[in-house]
Amino acid sequence: MALEGFGQIAEQLRRSTVQVASSSADGRGQGSGIIIRSDGAIVTNAHVANPERSRRVAGHSRLVVRLWDGSSFPASLQVRNARRDLAVLQIPTTGLTPATLANSENLRVGELVMAVGNPFGFIGAVTTGIVHAIGRRPGLGPTKWIQAEVQLAPGNSGGPLADARGNVVGVNTMVAGGLGLAVPSNAVARLLAGDLNQAPLGVVVHPAIVPVAGRKRLGLRILEVVRGSAAEYASLRQGDTLVGIEGQALRSLDDLEQAVEGGGDRLLRLEFVRGDPNKVRSVAVRLIVSQVADPERGRRAAMA
Amino acid sequence: MQSSLESLSNELAKLVEEFQSDVVAVHARSHYPSSGVHWRPGIIVTADHTVRREEDIRVTLPTGKTVNATLAGRDSGTDIALLKAEGLGSPATQRGDGSPAPPCGIGELALVLGRSPDSGPNASLGIISALSGPWRTWRGGRLDHYIRLDATLFPNSSGGAVVDCRGRILGIATSGLSRIAGLAIPASSINRVSDVLLEKGYLPRGYFGIGVQPVALPEALRTSLSLPNKSGIMVVSVEPGGPADRAVVLLGDVLVSLGNTSLEQIEDLQAISDSGVIGKPLNAKLIRAGSLQEVTITVGERRGE
Repeated sequence: MALEGFGQIAEQLRRSTVQVASSSADGRGQGSGIIIRSDGAIVTNAHVANPERSRRVAGHSRLVVRLWDGSSFPASLQVRNARRDLAVLQIPTTGLTPATLANSENLRVGELVMAVGNPFGFIGAVTTGIVHAIGRRPGLGPTKWIQAEVQLAPGNSGGPLADARGNVVGVNTMVAGGLGLAVPSNAVARLLAGDLNQAPLGVVVHPAIVPVAGRKRLGLRILEVVRGSAAEYASLRQGDTLVGIEGQALRSLDDLEQAVEGGGDRLLRLEFVRGDPNKVRSVAVRLIVSQVADPERGRRAAMA
Repeated sequence: MQSSLESLSNELAKLVEEFQSDVVAVHARSHYPSSGVHWRPGIIVTADHTVRREEDIRVTLPTGKTVNATLAGRDSGTDIALLKAEGLGSPATQRGDGSPAPPCGIGELALVLGRSPDSGPNASLGIISALSGPWRTWRGGRLDHYIRLDATLFPNSSGGAVVDCRGRILGIATSGLSRIAGLAIPASSINRVSDVLLEKGYLPRGYFGIGVQPVALPEALRTSLSLPNKSGIMVVSVEPGGPADRAVVLLGDVLVSLGNTSLEQIEDLQAISDSGVIGKPLNAKLIRAGSLQEVTITVGERRGE
């Protein structure tokens, strides 16, 4: 018996999959996206809808979305969450065919999945495989990934990973160790509902081995402090190096991610080094996990 | 109505769910853990090449709990290692007898199930891409079937369960026995080797104490000695005090038969070595200085390393 379905699902998914490109059309910075509402709302990866990169490439920050039928529209960036690598774009059109989001909590290891996207700019390429694992990846923090045995390539980013019914279970985001890694669709639902928290701490860090009190240990050097963030109100500065959390020495980047993730509003004590490597300083940061979309609230809480 | 695609997807997910309860993660090397299968009550089988230390071994159980385990026995020849762990109970799933008979032959789907301490159970899908009878691995052990898989084996797949189309464990996966593909170590071989490993901790092999290489026998010599062999195996080193030395086998002797078995290639000698000959006297025929002589070698024991 022939397997009816793969072809059908591919055809249906293609109509809900778009190409996201910078307006320079030089082929760089291309990715995929998923139509999630008929009125032009599109989900993609934050690294695809990256205004900084589009500006560098194109000279201005316009993103262009191209539909399966070849028509293209300028897109505006509605929401961008770099931590979960998701973004929502809006294009000025209606009557689109949206994909159906599945509940990714119900996805099981072993299920058949299909990825649609534009690898290397080739429009609407389809690959299939099974769900290899669901959960954390070593080195990628505490976040949950759908790890699928599908062949992805640059350009697949932001495109749909769908189950055997053609419902979207994840957003293809990266390739690691031969597996395609997708952000679970429930994270998309949370982003759309507005309760996917932005970086609760508000720092960009880079791991570095630093001498602290004569001993070399892992530190996380702060490259950037987000304006209005909990870190700024706790007076952390660019150039500071985080070396511990709640008295425990940092062993990996995951430690910070784990300490920051979840757990509601609370105080988090961070140890850091500023200038003098022999002096470990300490600061209490008030994490506002429940709602960080409002920076004013962070300010009030931190000053309270 | 469910499409056939959905039913296949469901069947695969069900198999994973059923069998993952007997699949553990094995921590016996740095970096990547490997996988193991709860094979008998309290006993986990894994791929020997993933066991890189003999102490401080731990296993992560399906419950997510990580417990200490001890090495109960290992054999690099067949790439089988056994671990004992506390609190395991009995395996929940069926083992096949390891004979991949129809309908589970070449071309049929096979799942490789592993476990990662980070993300729990994992699965790789492929088919049985080649199949044949007994063979000897490059590590020297004998396995009942050559079962080649085309599923992608990831760093922690070795030691994982290979589940066949009948929903039985066909064996365990290993990437250590072939450069080109993942293989399944058949369940029947695991059962046979486990019996010995649990008793002795190693797989004993016959030991002769000689280094050999095959040599072609000249036509004239074959005729004059009326030998059926086209080749024999020449002794190129003799272990002082070893079984062959005690039987006065000399450097340069060409062995042509041992017991009732004719020796033409090194594999013939290996086949005798693992056939329960330890401690038995074997009559060896050899060519020395152009004539046929006989010596009696009492076979010693070599511990599988």
